[in-house]
Amino acid sequence: MNPPDTSALRTLACPYCGPRELEEFTFRKTLPPPSSATPYARIYERVDSLTQSLEHWQHLRGCRAWLLVNRNPSSGAVVSVRLLSAAES
Amino acid sequence: MSAAFEPRFSALALVRARMQGAAAWRPLWAKRPLREAYDVVIVGGGGHGLATAYYLAREHRVGRIAVLEKSRIGYGNVGRNTTIVRSNYLLPENHYFYEDSVRRWEGLSRELNFNVMYSPRGVVDLAASDDDMPVLARRGNAMRLAGIDAELMDLHALKRFVPELDLGHRRRFPITGALVQRRGGTVRHDAVVWGYARAASALGVDIIEDCEVTGLEAAGESATALQTSRGRVQAGRIVFATAGHTGMIGSMLGVPLPIETHLLQAMVSEPIKPLLNTVLVYVTPGHGEIYISQSDRGGLVMGGRLDAFPSRTQEGQWYRLEDVVQAGLALLPQMAGVRILRHWAGLNDMTMDGSPIMDRIRYDNVFLNAGWCYGGFKAIPASGAACARFVASGTAPDLVRGFALSRFATGHILDEPGFGPFPVRL
Repeated sequence: MNPPDTSALRTLACPYCGPRELEEFTFRKTLPPPSSATPYARIYERVDSLTQSLEHWQHLRGCRAWLLVNRNPSSGAVVSVRLLSAAES
Repeated sequence: MSAAFEPRFSALALVRARMQGAAAWRPLWAKRPLREAYDVVIVGGGGHGLATAYYLAREHRVGRIAVLEKSRIGYGNVGRNTTIVRSNYLLPENHYFYEDSVRRWEGLSRELNFNVMYSPRGVVDLAASDDDMPVLARRGNAMRLAGIDAELMDLHALKRFVPELDLGHRRRFPITGALVQRRGGTVRHDAVVWGYARAASALGVDIIEDCEVTGLEAAGESATALQTSRGRVQAGRIVFATAGHTGMIGSMLGVPLPIETHLLQAMVSEPIKPLLNTVLVYVTPGHGEIYISQSDRGGLVMGGRLDAFPSRTQEGQWYRLEDVVQAGLALLPQMAGVRILRHWAGLNDMTMDGSPIMDRIRYDNVFLNAGWCYGGFKAIPASGAACARFVASGTAPDLVRGFALSRFATGHILDEPGFGPFPVRL
């Protein structure tokens, strides 16, 4: 039996490997709000937005690259996937 | 005690209704219009909101109470969970609180004059290795020191307690024993909504459906009113109990919260004859993660791990579902031919230590009841009672003092599984 193809989020496009099944990737953490200044805020506070979520993922069962993913958590749509090292420099 | 409830259910009422026909049955709760002002406005008509309203009215005699619900009561997580209740926690802040909840579940049908079908069938936490056994023993000992029932079972005792469990040599995943809480079990989730709504409504609480809160007005350090889709309403005190949308409340109040929203999937099989009379929990990273029980209708109710990334799509990931089914088949191979009847993914208010938040937020008279993660259902009676006491007295009851929002900044986190500032095991 094939799963119904309804979810917008089934794959992520790894910059090295191209589109791969979501199961290959591991979600690491959501980035804290840009306003977070204290260590407490950077560790614990989260942006829980309806429309945008900036997250660290890792292609753990693939090339192991760390990724910066911009997603819409309400629709499941992936806005962008970049290498974390490229995004930080 | 509950003479105010109308109609009061009893054997006599049943006979009388049989004579009078269907007209004898009236709606369980009254639909009243939104008034201009209330002493307490509770935002969120789920289990926690309704229970808070009930205890405010019954135990604290607060006069004018409203529960505002964006859609319909019982349409959120309280109507879509796996109905398990238990108090088998390691940390004192958690096990005393959840034990208060279990004690309230035990008497809730009588208190509400509404059968919530509390079924103490035993919650069986399975161990997957010899190393798991001392971990379970430690948790069980902590519970027993707090006066909570806990029983460590070896394979021999487990075989007697859950004969349907596959403990054969060819089983897929190892099982070495279990920690059992016999007073844990299940409660009919929808009846909890109906029971609390009926009891609260009979005490004069206004339950307002289709009423979305869009803004908050404040003067100085106090909130004064809420703007809603049904107009403005003045509020002496405000409680937010809006699991799944707590981040929006934080944005509205300008307070970033240590909460993100994840999906948890659950499913129910077609009804089958009685197979399982306990709640089996097999949470073993690397093997499988499942909890499974059989409802009174006969359906096998199953859930597993979170989808493990923030989402509000309410569409679960297929591979996570597969994990649950595979673990289920390893425990109970006899359910291989059973078909899944329905399946869903609900929004979970995940905090960064896995424990809830009950505290004032931003204003003197605004309270947050949130972050119950995937364990909100079992907490309903204790949470409602504690939140009501907090709101009525202005002081956090001892039972929930550990759930203060400030614990993250001061380092007093309640990290039950001990894996750091993430809502899920990575």
